[in-house]
Amino acid sequence: MNVLEFLKTALVALRLNLMRSVLTTLGIIIGVGSVIVMSGIGSGASKQIEDQIASLGTNQLTIFPGAQNVGGRRGGFGSAPPMTEKDVRAIREGVQGVAAVAGNLQGNANLVAGNANWVSRVNGVTDEIEQVRDWPVAEGRFFTADDAAAGQKVAVIGSTVARELFGGADPLGSTIRMNNAPFTVIGVLETKGQAGGQDQDDIVMVPLSTARSRLVGRTNVPDIVGQILVKVEDGYNIDEVQADIEKVLRERRRVQPNAENNFMIRNFAEFLETRSAASRTLGLLLAATAAISLVVGGIGIMNIMLVSVTERTREIGLRMAIGARGGDIMGQFLTEAVLLCLVGGLIGLTLGVGVAFVLAAAFKWVVYISPWAALMAIGASAFVGVVFGFVPARRASQLNPIDALRYE
Amino acid sequence: MTTPSAGTPVVSARDLVKTYQLGDFAVHALRGVSFDIMPGEFVAIMGPSGSGKSTLMNMIGALDTPTSGDLAINGVSIGTLDSDSLAELRNRTLGFVFQQFNLLARTTALDNVKLPLTYCRDPQKQAQANDRAAARLREVGLAERMDHVPSQLSGGQQQRVAIARALVNDPSLILADEPTGALDSETTVEIMNLFRRLTEQGMTVVLVTHEADVAGYARRLLRVRDGRLVEDRPIIGGAI
Repeated sequence: MNVLEFLKTALVALRLNLMRSVLTTLGIIIGVGSVIVMSGIGSGASKQIEDQIASLGTNQLTIFPGAQNVGGRRGGFGSAPPMTEKDVRAIREGVQGVAAVAGNLQGNANLVAGNANWVSRVNGVTDEIEQVRDWPVAEGRFFTADDAAAGQKVAVIGSTVARELFGGADPLGSTIRMNNAPFTVIGVLETKGQAGGQDQDDIVMVPLSTARSRLVGRTNVPDIVGQILVKVEDGYNIDEVQADIEKVLRERRRVQPNAENNFMIRNFAEFLETRSAASRTLGLLLAATAAISLVVGGIGIMNIMLVSVTERTREIGLRMAIGARGGDIMGQFLTEAVLLCLVGGLIGLTLGVGVAFVLAAAFKWVVYISPWAALMAIGASAFVGVVFGFVPARRASQLNPIDALRYE
Repeated sequence: MTTPSAGTPVVSARDLVKTYQLGDFAVHALRGVSFDIMPGEFVAIMGPSGSGKSTLMNMIGALDTPTSGDLAINGVSIGTLDSDSLAELRNRTLGFVFQQFNLLARTTALDNVKLPLTYCRDPQKQAQANDRAAARLREVGLAERMDHVPSQLSGGQQQRVAIARALVNDPSLILADEPTGALDSETTVEIMNLFRRLTEQGMTVVLVTHEADVAGYARRLLRVRDGRLVEDRPIIGGAI
């Protein structure tokens, strides 16, 4: 008997008891379905976070002043000397593999345009920020080094700010008063979306030099830059570049050889690794759930296959009498079990995908069902069919044809 | 498998002994039975229940092997075969007809008749399965019923489907175990005449029955009692 015959026979047998077949395979359907839903939501969430982190820049390092020990007393965060233009220059000139470096001085400002007002983060940045953050303007232009040098009061705004202040109107050329200083809008940034619960588009960028004098208030450090953002050049190892920057900055900031850094370097790639470690744990949990539900489903399959073998003892006897070998009978019942599981797996997959997308639509979740997960689900259900179909199939194949034919 | 020459018996039993062990008791089902059945014979095996009749039939059907002695089908001794070879022997040389028909439910007459061919490892025969099955159904007078399932057929028609199934792989021997036990007297005559016609065309048929008028259709009688062959004689004029 060939595979096609086995399949045909199995289909006929399963159709004869359609209701029972469906009920039997319900365990597999629910198991596979729930795993698909959970993994869809789980990997959707982690994919979303990964995308957000990627939009922040995975090849980006952020450097800010850390804590400093003064006379055995540890200061708070930011108590160390601030980052300055000199640090920026030292990194740009002293470190290999740096594509772009930008200073970034952050503050909050009250924005007013006409009747509308809005509080937003204002970032005083050098023009290289466009490159570092890989964030082009959608309309207008970015300010240049000349704008900065001339102390121009120009601003590039995020799409959220544009919407809140100008509604649908074109903001280019309009004036925004920030902490009462008038700034001309020269560009609107492309929309980036949420990251880490923060709206990245709720932002205003102005030249760093202008920010220093107009927005942040006086400091005793004239060339303060707040944070330094570094974009690592493609092809360079981000960890090595980070180590080089650390070396340059320790030297420049005169950190003693065995002392702690008085600055911090944050690496988004590390974030990503932490995230993927977390999603690996989640994946493991899901796999365990899947395994348990498939085992439960498999036991149901085995149970009903044993019943089926008993019910069809005479049929088995007849098949043996007319020439079926033990292997033929075994193959027939194994095919039935595997087919039952496979169909269950497919139904479960379909239902799972459906439910996942309904949930996604209802709760605005991101759902991602990887082809790999779908394939695994189907493969696992076929495997369950083989494992739990084996005992009933072997029992059938070992029946004595004489007794089987006489079975009432 | 050897092809039987004209002189080879289809069934050849020599000092056939079968003993079952039931706990501490040994049940002597057959205590030394010898006979030959030649091609084209129509043999009835009779005997009361417990006589060893069923054991003998199982052995002729290559479903059971002897404890001692020898049973050969077409010259092949079944005692030396493993279960797969026995299955192949049954598939190629034997056709079974049962009292309860044993047709697959909700399966058409044509598919039921084809069933032995699905277990046959001869690609040529498999390729011709539909034609062969249809031809056999026509032979037993069911040309119009090929697409009917057993529940749509009368008892006599179902038994004819079973006979067509037994014939489909060109066997050397048809083994019919109480083939009319579930049929009324009119249909019994019909089915027994069909067997008779088959033997007249050269088929060998072994019939197991306890009804004398059914056995009367055969040409030779083997009577078994207490595990021994007590009578082996021709049947003349249908009288037992």
